[in-house]
Amino acid sequence: MPRITVDKLEPGMKLARPVMRGSMVLLGEGTELNDNWIQKIKSMEIESVYIDGPSQMSVPKDEMMAQLEDRFKNVADEPYMDVIKKLVRKHIEDLYE
Amino acid sequence: MNSMDVKDLRRKVENIGALPTIPGVLKHISSIIEKPDISLNEISDFISSDPALTTKILKMINSAVYGFPGRISSVSHATVLLGLNVIKGLLIGVSVFELMQQAMQGLWEHSFDCAITSKLIAQRKKLKEPEEVYAAGLLHDIGKVILILEFPEEYEKSIHDANQQCISIFESEKNRFVENHANVGSWLAEKWRFPNNLIETIKYHHAPHRSKYAPMETAIVHLSDILVRARGFGFAGDSFVPAIEPAAFELLDLTENDIKEILREMDDSLEIIEELSL
Ligand SMILES: [Fe+2]
Ligand SMILES: [Fe+2]
Repeated sequence: MPRITVDKLEPGMKLARPVMRGSMVLLGEGTELNDNWIQKIKSMEIESVYIDGPSQMSVPKDEMMAQLEDRFKNVADEPYMDVIKKLVRKHIEDLYE
Repeated sequence: MNSMDVKDLRRKVENIGALPTIPGVLKHISSIIEKPDISLNEISDFISSDPALTTKILKMINSAVYGFPGRISSVSHATVLLGLNVIKGLLIGVSVFELMQQAMQGLWEHSFDCAITSKLIAQRKKLKEPEEVYAAGLLHDIGKVILILEFPEEYEKSIHDANQQCISIFESEKNRFVENHANVGSWLAEKWRFPNNLIETIKYHHAPHRSKYAPMETAIVHLSDILVRARGFGFAGDSFVPAIEPAAFELLDLTENDIKEILREMDDSLEIIEELSL
């Protein structure tokens, strides 16, 4: 789910996560945005919101993973680097979900 | 380069006002912040007198990642909130933005992402001054900028060596320069009268166990540098993730879940940052 800045919001987009102020939910998850809601969000001090839809990853996953392997090639056997690599790999894989 | 010894190099770097490749604005800012008795008011007046600088500073502070509730609309408010050392760091940070861009494509992104990551880790470790660690992350590789500007050909060769030999830029610098970028950066930090912990974070970000005053902050910047490279953000002279110093990793004492969340927060913050072109 992509996170986009409020100036790029358009009517019809659906919130993938609620818009919160502190612990208060202002707009629930799944709300379909209309001009009115968009104006409201813009008037609040909110930079960006999550909306439904596939994330836009500019590099294909295989290529991304190959680059990751390459970056770590000098340090694969160093202490703790296996943990760091595993976590970064998992993190990047999740971005493609 | 072998004709130059460390003292010569240091003298040259410290005399930043005489370096022909350094733009006037940075020379001016450098001369302001190195004053021993500079007050918060003076520095605030100086920033306010320059509209472009004011915009950049406020933009950076108000970026979501900096995390103050509500907008900060005046420089004087910002300086009071952040304190002298952080403001000095940000001032240098925003003023070297263009210089970094032209010195090395990707170095600004590397530095900025390290700043954000450092702050995220500092908050997670509940450090008192996460903003100071942010400034340290922003400036940790400033020595590279000076080396590139003063010795463009040699530095170009260092980058070439690093990629040919699959070694880090920190390693390849050793073969062409009498000093590495971490030490060069710390000379500037001393000249600018930054506090000891900021000087040490810059000086030891590749050897955090050597830090006496700020082992935690230095370990944080050390890990940030590694995470930012691991994630594939920016370019800092080579394309390899350096090994973490085990003692630093143990000192940080982060769980796998901590690191997982830090990576997520990095992506969240950085997406917004793309909008923040200084
Ligand atoms: Fe470095
Ligand atoms: Fe770095």
